Amino acid sequence: MMLHAERVAVELDGSRVVEDVGFELDDGEWLGLIGPNGAGKTTLLRAVAGLVPYAGSIRIQGDEVASLGRREAARKVAVVPQIPVIPPDTTVLEYVVLGRTPHLRYSGSPGPRDVVAARSALARLDGAHLVDRRLGSLSGGERQRAVLARAVAQDATLLLLDEPTSALDVGAQQQVLELVAALRADGSITVLSAMHDLTHAGQYADRLLLLDGGREQASGAPHEVLTEQLIARHFGASIRVIRDEESGIAVVPLRPRVESGQPVP
Amino acid sequence: MLHRPLAALLAVLLALVIAACGSDDDTAAPPATSSAAVETTAAAAFPVTVEGDNGPLTIQEQPDEIVSLSATATESLFAIGAGDQVIAVDDQSDYPADAPQTDLSGFEPNVEAIAGYEPDLVIASYDPGGLVDGLEKLDIPVLLQDAAPNLDAAYAQIETLGTATGHVEEAEEVVDSMQTQIDELVSSASGADGTTVYHELGPDFYSATSDTFIGSVYGLFGLVNIADEAGDADAGGYPQLSGEYIVSESPDLIVLADTVCCGQTAQKVSKRPGWDQIAAVESGNIVEADDSIASRWGPRTVEFVQLIADSLEGVSQR
Amino acid sequence: MATARALRARLSARPERALRGVSAGWALAAGAFVVVSTLLGLALGPVDLGLGAVTREVLSHVPFLGVSSPFSGTEDAILWELRAPRVALGLLVGAMLASAGAAYQGVFRNPLADPYLLGAAAGAGLGATIVIAYDPGGGLDLRPIAAFAGAVLGVGIAYLLGRSVGGSATTTLILAGVTVAAFLTAVQTYVQQQSAETVQEVYSWILGQLETSGWSDVLILLPYVAVSTAVLLWHRRLLDVLAVGDDEAASLGVPVARVRLAVVAAATLGTAAAVAFSGLIAFVGIIVPHAVRLMAGTSYRVVLPLSLAFGGGFLVLMDLVARTVVAPAQLPIGVVTAFLGAPFFAVVLRSTRGVGP
Repeated sequence: MMLHAERVAVELDGSRVVEDVGFELDDGEWLGLIGPNGAGKTTLLRAVAGLVPYAGSIRIQGDEVASLGRREAARKVAVVPQIPVIPPDTTVLEYVVLGRTPHLRYSGSPGPRDVVAARSALARLDGAHLVDRRLGSLSGGERQRAVLARAVAQDATLLLLDEPTSALDVGAQQQVLELVAALRADGSITVLSAMHDLTHAGQYADRLLLLDGGREQASGAPHEVLTEQLIARHFGASIRVIRDEESGIAVVPLRPRVESGQPVP
Repeated sequence: MLHRPLAALLAVLLALVIAACGSDDDTAAPPATSSAAVETTAAAAFPVTVEGDNGPLTIQEQPDEIVSLSATATESLFAIGAGDQVIAVDDQSDYPADAPQTDLSGFEPNVEAIAGYEPDLVIASYDPGGLVDGLEKLDIPVLLQDAAPNLDAAYAQIETLGTATGHVEEAEEVVDSMQTQIDELVSSASGADGTTVYHELGPDFYSATSDTFIGSVYGLFGLVNIADEAGDADAGGYPQLSGEYIVSESPDLIVLADTVCCGQTAQKVSKRPGWDQIAAVESGNIVEADDSIASRWGPRTVEFVQLIADSLEGVSQR
Repeated sequence: MATARALRARLSARPERALRGVSAGWALAAGAFVVVSTLLGLALGPVDLGLGAVTREVLSHVPFLGVSSPFSGTEDAILWELRAPRVALGLLVGAMLASAGAAYQGVFRNPLADPYLLGAAAGAGLGATIVIAYDPGGGLDLRPIAAFAGAVLGVGIAYLLGRSVGGSATTTLILAGVTVAAFLTAVQTYVQQQSAETVQEVYSWILGQLETSGWSDVLILLPYVAVSTAVLLWHRRLLDVLAVGDDEAASLGVPVARVRLAVVAAATLGTAAAVAFSGLIAFVGIIVPHAVRLMAGTSYRVVLPLSLAFGGGFLVLMDLVARTVVAPAQLPIGVVTAFLGAPFFAVVLRSTRGVGP
């Protein structure tokens, strides 16, 4: 059991942002967190990473997250934030090598092994050619690959992604998600990601967990969670779910009908 | 020798006091009578017009509510017998001891506070801006006497004060006395021509060139002031020298004007690294002057000149 | 395995410049800069000792060379008791201010940070002013102690204030520092005005000076600078990690609050000691690290060591100008660093912006 969460609650500034959430992740699984803005997805991810205090239990490979030291936690969990800080003059290689920090001594410098790990992480994400580029000169998709590579270089077994495609165009979105899927296919990584695009969540995640108001509203296989009623109730959106043998599932937003009952042309 | 000019001044003061108290007494000694006569003559001399650094000033009547914001002017006023007419002096005017010291500041004068004393004459040596204007707006006569650049200017200031306060003759006597004594002191120290001197205003090596009053005193003796070469650095005449330069010039005489403000002594100075190479340190010709005497241009300048003359004896004995 | 071997082959073929820290070229340039500035500082000054004579004098101290010194007692005193300690002080103070500035810029992720950010300057100024105004007789010996104590107290109060408000987030700390600095400056101004006759002395201290009381000052300052810069250098890689923000650095396993405290404490201690002897020399702590960044790269593994070297040499050169340009008078060094440093930085800025990928 890679990740086991039970009755997790997080309080921020006096209000309960996450309440009574529980789920499990097996090795190599991909669990997608979906929910409207403010549902508590990011906060839940931060709790799993050990970045905020929580009530309840979150165990990674049997170890309670709250009792892990900073470095230990960083060696098990890698976080790809929604809006990463990008120092413009740093090269991609220097940036990816930062991912090796949990494996270095307090004042230590990266050695040849760390450089190799960083380069191979970049290579796995089709980013080897970006090695000497300045971060400030990269496109959105290239930048996201660099951030992912940094997370991969951490050699962590659990990868947390916070809305990894929010700033990307449709092509870059697919590219990044395919890369994450490929990482998972290699076998060594379990993925927990917060996603705002319901179609992508349905296409890539093995299972989904729907959060609203900090609470679990539904969980299960994508076709079980992505239903018109649930989406309407929690997102206030009208959609149609299309299932397709090839691509799996797609969530199509519908324009609301006019009152007279006539479909909008 | 130091006490003769002081004694003379005290005699004049005493005479005036007696005259003030016993102006009805015809049997008073001649000096008293002549002082009384001086007073009446003085009163009759008004209105007068005197020249200050802020232009001409007309004083209608003999002032007797004088406020002095200049330590030098305070000393001069009391020396020429106008001490009774002074009702308040600033916080730096510590001489003579019985001058009516107040919290008024000569550096940061507060026009309102000064006006509160209802003066009929204000004497200042520094106008940071607004002092003269402010007092003039309140119709308070103000006489500005900047730092004198040399002895002649200092004498002129004393005489001006004499005219302004109705003590013309006493002022002339004071000036004459100063001139005589200084001339004597200078000629007694002849042969000091060419001796080099370093005048220290602060332990960070601020000095005074010959363009300043104190510098001009050294000029009287024909001394060479090592700060003159640095004159360009500070138009006001107070450049900051570097330690290296002082050591390499090896002045024959060092005058410390920072004994009170900064606790410098001949001993401390000779311990400064590298300073043991200086001629003045080797021969022990380091003079500790009182800060206030060395920074004012009033009657006590004679004391300073005395100090220098005495120390030059030590130099020429080498 | 094959992949790793292939990668390692590529690795040796293309050295990772940035990851190796300071390149040999820059190390050489930095060393040369320090040596040249030191030699110039020793050779030149308001008193002309002659370059050749100075060289012979220095060599005469090297054993077995058999060179005799051409100096008289006075010249020897000027060189070894006045100029040399002054140059040494310049190297120490310059190195300290520049590396402290770089460290502050890294730990606060703020390019405008300088070693005086958290109130060190205001505190030191207050301490020195109090001594100058209220203890004129004792004066000189108490001044460095008061300045040092003031600087440390200023930063300490700012830190505690920031912590009590809400954690050690950078913005909170900076604001606390600004508040404390403003307050201490106000008190300092008040004290200064209370004793107006010492204004010139206070002002001259604030503008900075490297006039020393000889080698004793240097020997007292040396351990502070050595320990402080050692701690800062020790943290240089961590400063690189902090560049991605507190959150991400924490998720990479860095104990952010502890690192910040250690760096601030070390930088402040060294700065307080430097300022105690030299007054508040402005500009060095901001400009030198930025110039180094523009010329040699942004990683703190490069910026910190190079700032040390270039900061020291820079200050020695500035002091040289301060004591020769209006010789035999001297200018306050703070005036010179700003006057010359700003145009120099403008040149560096122009020639390196727009260059690069």
